[in-house]
Amino acid sequence: MSLKNVFTDWSRYRKGIEEGGFHDYEHMWGMAVDLNKCIGCNACAVACYAENNLAVVGEEKFYKGQAMHWMRIERYWDEPDLGEDRVKEFNHHGANFIPMMCQNCNAATCEPVCPVAATYHTPDGLNAQVYNRCIGSRYCSNNCPYRLRFFNFYSYYESSWPEPLHMQLNPDLTVRDKGVMEKCTFCVQRIRAAKDKARREDRKVRDGEFLPACAQTCPTGAITFGDLLTLHTPGGGVGETKVAQMWRDHQVELGKTRQTKQNPELRGYRVFEGLNTDPCVMYLERVREV
Amino acid sequence: MSNKVNRRDFLKIMGWSGVGATLAGCDLPTTVTLEEGKEEVVSYLMPEEFVIPGIGVWYASTCLQCPAGCGVHGRVREGRVLKLEGNPESPINRGRLCQMGQSGVQAHYNPDRITQPMLRKNGGLTPVSWHDALEVLAQRTGPGSGLTGERFAWFTDTISGHQAVLLDAHLKAMGSDNHYVHEVINNSVTRAVNRDMLGEEQPRLRFDKARVVLSFGADFLGTWQSPVHNATEYAKFRSPPRGVLVQVEPNMSLTGANADLWVPVRPGTEGLLALAIAKVLATKHRKPLDKLPAAVQELILGYDVNEVARITGASGDHIIKIAGWLSERSPSLVIAGATAEGHEQGYQIVAAIMLLNIILGNVGETIEPAGEFPFPQLTARTGGTRSLVDFAKALEEKRYDVVFFRGANPVYTAPKALGLAQKLEGVGFKVAFSMFQDETTALADLVLPMRSPAEDWGTHVPAYQGEDRVISVQQPLMEPLYTETRGFGDVMLSLLKMHKVAGYSDYEDYYAYLRDAFAAMPAVLKENHSDDSFWARALQKGVIPVPTTQGSLTVKTAAVEVPGDSGRGEYPYFLVPAARLGMWDGRHANIPWLQEAPDQITKVVWNSWAEMHPSTARKLGVKTGDAVRIASSQGTIEANVYVYKGIHPDVIAVPMGRGHEAYGRYAQGRGVNPLKILDPVTERKTGELALMATRVQVSRASNEKVMVKLGGSESQLGRKIVATVTADVFERTEGGA
Ligand code: SF4
Ligand code: SF4
Ligand code: SF4
Repeated sequence: MSLKNVFTDWSRYRKGIEEGGFHDYEHMWGMAVDLNKCIGCNACAVACYAENNLAVVGEEKFYKGQAMHWMRIERYWDEPDLGEDRVKEFNHHGANFIPMMCQNCNAATCEPVCPVAATYHTPDGLNAQVYNRCIGSRYCSNNCPYRLRFFNFYSYYESSWPEPLHMQLNPDLTVRDKGVMEKCTFCVQRIRAAKDKARREDRKVRDGEFLPACAQTCPTGAITFGDLLTLHTPGGGVGETKVAQMWRDHQVELGKTRQTKQNPELRGYRVFEGLNTDPCVMYLERVREV
Repeated sequence: MSNKVNRRDFLKIMGWSGVGATLAGCDLPTTVTLEEGKEEVVSYLMPEEFVIPGIGVWYASTCLQCPAGCGVHGRVREGRVLKLEGNPESPINRGRLCQMGQSGVQAHYNPDRITQPMLRKNGGLTPVSWHDALEVLAQRTGPGSGLTGERFAWFTDTISGHQAVLLDAHLKAMGSDNHYVHEVINNSVTRAVNRDMLGEEQPRLRFDKARVVLSFGADFLGTWQSPVHNATEYAKFRSPPRGVLVQVEPNMSLTGANADLWVPVRPGTEGLLALAIAKVLATKHRKPLDKLPAAVQELILGYDVNEVARITGASGDHIIKIAGWLSERSPSLVIAGATAEGHEQGYQIVAAIMLLNIILGNVGETIEPAGEFPFPQLTARTGGTRSLVDFAKALEEKRYDVVFFRGANPVYTAPKALGLAQKLEGVGFKVAFSMFQDETTALADLVLPMRSPAEDWGTHVPAYQGEDRVISVQQPLMEPLYTETRGFGDVMLSLLKMHKVAGYSDYEDYYAYLRDAFAAMPAVLKENHSDDSFWARALQKGVIPVPTTQGSLTVKTAAVEVPGDSGRGEYPYFLVPAARLGMWDGRHANIPWLQEAPDQITKVVWNSWAEMHPSTARKLGVKTGDAVRIASSQGTIEANVYVYKGIHPDVIAVPMGRGHEAYGRYAQGRGVNPLKILDPVTERKTGELALMATRVQVSRASNEKVMVKLGGSESQLGRKIVATVTADVFERTEGGA
């Protein structure tokens, strides 16, 4: 079972590269995050807690690195691209924020190491986690270069949702128990609901018809979510999604470890793409007046 | 409806008095209502209201987590509210919410809610029935209690809409006009300056139109006026042609963290810096000063940029650069916030800053008249910290026998120097309308458990609305969790009944009152809808657009007198109690999601910290994580240090919001409250507390706790995680859009 999955995933991935696209996929969910707009406010992260039943672990466990924030806003002070000056006295350009959620890599480094194939790739292009197959080996989180997998070291049901806080829990997904790995799912329950609805109405899912919780709440609209499938259709094809258009505009392509842009000044980039993870999240560079 | 009241009184009872009754129409598109929708989906499967098994339904309501009044949609399933999202119909937030708004459900389902009325007996609070509670209220405050209006006061947070109508009616019934409105995070000084200089307290600001925003400590993305609205406008401001943001402040706010140029200054010197910028505009860029009085012109021209740079701590190059941007890119927008306001001369500082808008011709461009809201009874009663000072003084003079508290938590927010807790002992009967056992509620003699905003009715008119004005409607998103809690409006009506106030006494509950109030709404707001369909529509959309009268801004400037650097004495550092989108003024310390949400700047969780510049840290021999003792003349607090280059070396910043002595399991006993050790200095013109005027000594303390924060590295270590391009590149590649 596990080996078969691994091979299927990898052959599909290789085919994707060789044939320029993921033709047998139903969808290829992806994002574009504009760091010129993101203000680092953290609304997306809390929205994710609310939507996805994320446990609050408390100060001590947070210190041990056991927090369950599927979405976190990283903040750095240096700006390597603007010529970091070690002696400068102040951070005159403010902070460097980046919202980090599972990058849903097409060549996810977490997938092939799972001994039981609890983490695998769906025909939607999602990196999925099968909770009831997960045995808690934690190989996947060890292998995630982005540190975006979160392990339930404890059972948090009692401590995180004392009554009546538990009444807030989203019935569309589970509360994960001790020993299970979890991570951003691109709000798969919302994807599911939208697909089911589309199927009932005998049509395709429309671009923007649903949003993940983080993209939905973002006050600046920094997060664009949608289907990247048309990305490898020359010219975008009919009905190119907004997110695919952004990737195209910024000349960022899937299946590459290094982008060959005609215009290297375009802002799109993927974090750590040189590691050949082929992430489905593109960031647009932060902008500063100098 | 009682026939004892005439039409004018009737409109007043319903909150619609004012010019609004004669307004011209506006457009309300037709949509299916949830109420109607419910009829469609209702079946035998639906055992009670709110319950449609397996199906999530979204209801519109209003976020009450801060005074901005964003519209929300609550997802309701199996009778429970599960998730809040922004209401796209609301021009305030356009479908978005901040992290505090997202957390509204955790205020509602908080495990530390008060679930029944309590009365102080033999020192302790003991549960009583509502019947008994109201009986006690009648005895102590009702007709025949002997209580006179002067000896009674309300102390609240911002209140608007029909809740304010009822509160006013109650005050009138009591024969009292003692209403203290308290918000620690406010813009009272700027409002006073705007009123005097522009003729409007809260003009509409057009971030979207501005090419340069120069903000003196106004954290408009985090804690200022209408954060979500401002953030949506900010996104437009940053779209091509991309505007430049300059933030001038003592320590970095969320807005400062997003600035193109962040300029640290010594607190209290912001006005001086503004005038130096004005001087460069006049001399180097030939901007005429002729709109200003001669004395002001002279003052501006008298400044020496290098001297100002020395006093403020900003560099001369930056002053020149800022003036350059302002003159080259028009229109601009100059704003002032808490760190500029919070000084003895705060009014003068803000006035000096506002002069820049006049010199640059921004009034009428990026600063537009908001116009008059046509229903004055419904407008927000808002306030600042002057209420704390005045209230403390009144208590000192033993002016009140009875005080009613709602929303505000003055026992927590008041500096120790005001001695509020002790002085409150002199008030014989204190009533707290409250959801939680906070510090003020803990001292009350009678505690009335309130329904949560997700269980209650209401209407809201936020003080600042950046776009089309609306009345935002609040409707319950589920049945009350606790049967012994009551809605604020319901209790207010009980009080009015107690006083037999004509017109109000006929209503069984607040819902019935609101239904009638909506029916009595001026026809122009209802278009041609029947009462029922209008009501259903208002609930479905969540907002009722209200046309405002055309306003105009008239520029009037007086002489300004800006303070320079004051001496240091034995307290060498400035203490900045920093406001953050998260803990806010302390009201969100009981929300676990927000406690665990890393602070945007320092990334610290669950605790307080003290921000410090590396040079200061070196001097004190401390590094990030070490504990320091911060002592003002009023007291001492201890916190772990966060060292970074986003703060002026003379400043120590400690965030507000933690350090609760009560307020439930998540808040109590975590961190420190910097407000406690503030000097009770007030702003001269407005009487607001000068929150930035406290000086402190700092020394190393022994470490008792580790500092817990997100992320091990403050640096990208050369990796391309957050990549940055210059604005020139952006202009080249995307500027044409
Ligand atoms: S909500 Fe939007 S602006 Fe705020 S941190 Fe998340 S991505 Fe950035
Ligand atoms: S896509 Fe959904 S699961 Fe992923 S970070 Fe956003 S809200 Fe969380
Ligand atoms: S800004 Fe205020 S009103 Fe708006 S979502 Fe945040 S807390 Fe709620």
